[in-house]
Amino acid sequence: MPLNSALEGKSYSETTFTVDAERVARFREALGDGRDDVPPTFVTAAEFTVFPAIVSDPELGLDFTRVVHAEQEYEWRRPLRVGETLTVRTHIASIRQKAGTGFLTIRSELVGADGDVAVLAWATLIERSA
Amino acid sequence: MPAVRVRFEDLAAGDEVPPLSRMVTREDVKRYADASGDHNPLHQNDDVARAVGFPGIIAHGMFTMGQLARCLTDWLGDAGALVRMRAQFRAPVFMGEILVAGGRVRSLDPETRTAALEVWVTVERAGTTEYAIRKSDAEVRLTEGG
Repeated sequence: MPLNSALEGKSYSETTFTVDAERVARFREALGDGRDDVPPTFVTAAEFTVFPAIVSDPELGLDFTRVVHAEQEYEWRRPLRVGETLTVRTHIASIRQKAGTGFLTIRSELVGADGDVAVLAWATLIERSA
Repeated sequence: MPAVRVRFEDLAAGDEVPPLSRMVTREDVKRYADASGDHNPLHQNDDVARAVGFPGIIAHGMFTMGQLARCLTDWLGDAGALVRMRAQFRAPVFMGEILVAGGRVRSLDPETRTAALEVWVTVERAGTTEYAIRKSDAEVRLTEGG
């Protein structure tokens, strides 16, 4: 069943995400990152505060067993800081169907306590045809 | 501010970023799942991975992109210099394989002190170079004095 393209633009409940020192340390360890700033792709942990609600959204009709992460993009306006709490605002940026394959792009905005956007993220998932 | 190792004035189109190699282990992928919050069983359960045709669990695409970002921030000496990256995931990565992340300067903009790079991650598999990430790009900004 194709993805429900009527859901383009749908926003999901915003979440908060705290950049936890221990979690950052484990993330660095997993990647072998010896630097002491927050690794830029740690943003993925903030995106995952909303992703489960999207992939299980019955209106969207995504078959998670056929989902692959196809593309990821980040625009960092500043690095994340350990201890800060960000607001994560997420919506469906686009839904496309191409030769039986569904393309879903999710846009997340990480907003700092000052109200400014710290990072923008776009995750594109594809749903392979059954 | 940490010391920046790369100066904008020293860069030229065609320059290569020092490649970064790392073996992918089950322990690190498990750690990555816990730290990132991505608990897709494809990255933790061999039976689930085999059911969709893989020989065993695969690394998260974001694990591979994380290595690519690390390759750039190790080179730059400052995570804040990385301002944009877009990665296309083109091949799965299996346990025990060695990821090699790299990049090349495509163009320079002296006005904004920004370099546009082509970036990639390869893995050698059965005598062939597979691209886990390819046709991807990054932008780094090297501020004055850096």
